[in-house]
Amino acid sequence: MSAALNAITVENLRKVYGATKAVDGISFEVREGEVFGMLGPNGAGKSTTIEMIEGLRRPDGGSITVLGLKQPGAANHIKTRIGIQLQTTALYPRLTVTEILDLFHTFFRGRKTISTAELIQLVDLDEKKDTHSKALSGGQRQRLSVALALVNDPDIVFLDEPTTGMDPQARRQLWDLVRALQQRGKTILLTTHYMEEAEQLCDRVAIVDHGHIMELGSPQDLISRHFQEIAIEFNHPEGDTENYRTLAGVNNVVVENGHVSLYSTDVPATMAALLQRTDNSGALRNLNVRGGTLEDVFLKLTGRALRD
Amino acid sequence: MSTVFSLYLASMKEFVRDRMSMFWTLAFPILFIVLFGLIFSGSGSVNFTMGMVVEDQGQVGQALAQTFETIARQNNSPFKLETGSRQAEMNSLKKGNLDMVIVIPAGISAQVAQNQTAKVQMYYDPTRNQTNAQIEQTIINSIVGQFNQHYTRVSPPLAVDTISVATKTLSSIDFLVPGILAMSLMQLGIFGTAQPLVALRQEQVLRRLGATPLPRWMLLTSQVLMRMTIALTQTALLVGIGIAAFNIHMEGNPLALLGIVLLGAATFISLGYLIAAFSPTVDAASGIGSAVNFPMMFLSGVFFPLALLPAFLTPVVRALPLTYLADAVRQVMINGTPAFPLTVDLAVLAGWVVVCTLVAARFFKWE
Repeated sequence: MSAALNAITVENLRKVYGATKAVDGISFEVREGEVFGMLGPNGAGKSTTIEMIEGLRRPDGGSITVLGLKQPGAANHIKTRIGIQLQTTALYPRLTVTEILDLFHTFFRGRKTISTAELIQLVDLDEKKDTHSKALSGGQRQRLSVALALVNDPDIVFLDEPTTGMDPQARRQLWDLVRALQQRGKTILLTTHYMEEAEQLCDRVAIVDHGHIMELGSPQDLISRHFQEIAIEFNHPEGDTENYRTLAGVNNVVVENGHVSLYSTDVPATMAALLQRTDNSGALRNLNVRGGTLEDVFLKLTGRALRD
Repeated sequence: MSTVFSLYLASMKEFVRDRMSMFWTLAFPILFIVLFGLIFSGSGSVNFTMGMVVEDQGQVGQALAQTFETIARQNNSPFKLETGSRQAEMNSLKKGNLDMVIVIPAGISAQVAQNQTAKVQMYYDPTRNQTNAQIEQTIINSIVGQFNQHYTRVSPPLAVDTISVATKTLSSIDFLVPGILAMSLMQLGIFGTAQPLVALRQEQVLRRLGATPLPRWMLLTSQVLMRMTIALTQTALLVGIGIAAFNIHMEGNPLALLGIVLLGAATFISLGYLIAAFSPTVDAASGIGSAVNFPMMFLSGVFFPLALLPAFLTPVVRALPLTYLADAVRQVMINGTPAFPLTVDLAVLAGWVVVCTLVAARFFKWE
């Protein structure tokens, strides 16, 4: 892959706070036009990394190239070509959505922009276009912050945990928006701790923990790379790891608070054995059989759940 | 440039649409002036008895003495006059029969003839009501000031009606209004600038704006312009209400007052930025602001004259920028007794602007 097609190149990025290595040698590339996700729990170093790429934070080591320009040296020039979505609840609380968007347009005089009217349509805030920003709901404010990131029709859009605190419907709405942006040819770099979000939206995902990239690839690749098992899940009050390890086909068992996950390479065999074992000692509640997810991958790589 | 104007408009809209905040920002100085107006309206205009000692035999001394006598004979004169020897008048002053003694010393005609400055001496009892003493001195000052402007050796002494312009009775509120105006400018700078700016930083608004190519100086300039607009509105309200409701008298040039208000606002706005630079949180800004605000309120000659303060505080008084602003405003608005020459006042204020701005720019963190 030639470097000219990379929207972002990050090499050996480091950031240290006192004794803590927040970002400890992260390297990856984001190709033009792809949706690239950084998936990991809170404190993994995702936000710090994305802030350094955006130019909002100074790295302690490594190199960053955005659209062919180097951070942090060309930070101001880069700012004109990227869009950063930042959650700021207190941004001009008494100005209307339209007024805030118009104001941001004045920061990009002489450059190509997407008009306020079009942005409002794009993020579906038409009903609220004359509402003061403090009167917007959480999801609406999030959509406004995405609109603000698009004012200068950027080549790359950075979304930092864009659906945190949103209800499922609002979340799906935002996913549609991200897909629409990709249709327009934009490159998108997002961070999230929601596995479903990474699976649904991202062409490629980097799994991040403790300042490192543990794995990188398309969601499908990652799952099939680490997961040959199918998960059988149920609730059982007497759940105990040792009970289930001996069942046919079971590779791994995770028990947490009465919730049992069996990772099996032979589902019919495991199911038969399971039903026989629990015949009269209480029904299996909430039985669910599913393929692997990124959360399973994370669990396997780190021994911890994505959301602690 | 119009980006600065757009930012300015946005912040003005924010201010105006926050009805509570706008109300208190504008109402606070008004409350002060109404309060003081009501307190002092009962006391009416000042009346005092003055002893005059004329030792100069020349034309200037005689003309000045005649001026005072003419005024004293008017119906609405603020003072009664008696003339006598230095010893007699000073004795009367010590006994408390006189409020003030003015001495026109020997030789001033000769000095004036040689284009030197001649001084007229005023004596007063320092244990008396200080506010009244200040007002009396102000009246005498304004008379002498007018005399200086009009006097030439060729023409006869001032016509009576010209002098009567200078003797409009000044009441206590005339003395206090300039101080209150200066104080409101100070509070605008300290609280109205520092806290909102720190809040912007705390709430990460500065960070959001910093993620765009917007240059920082544009944001700061728009903020300064916005605070200046508020300062001018406060000034207009204060002076307007003072004139309309309490009949305060503005002696000076309105343009000069405007210039000093702008300079004073700049001084305290830059001081506000300095405070914001060293305040990590809004609470810290509020605390530091109060720590700065209270000493200045009481040690800068706003509510009572500087002469009332003990001598060991003089270095502190001289270090406070409000001292110089209050003095300058008082001089321009009502020809008040200067604590410092006006040029010194302006120079000190300008110096504060430069120093505060440089230090604030160096230390202010945007996140």
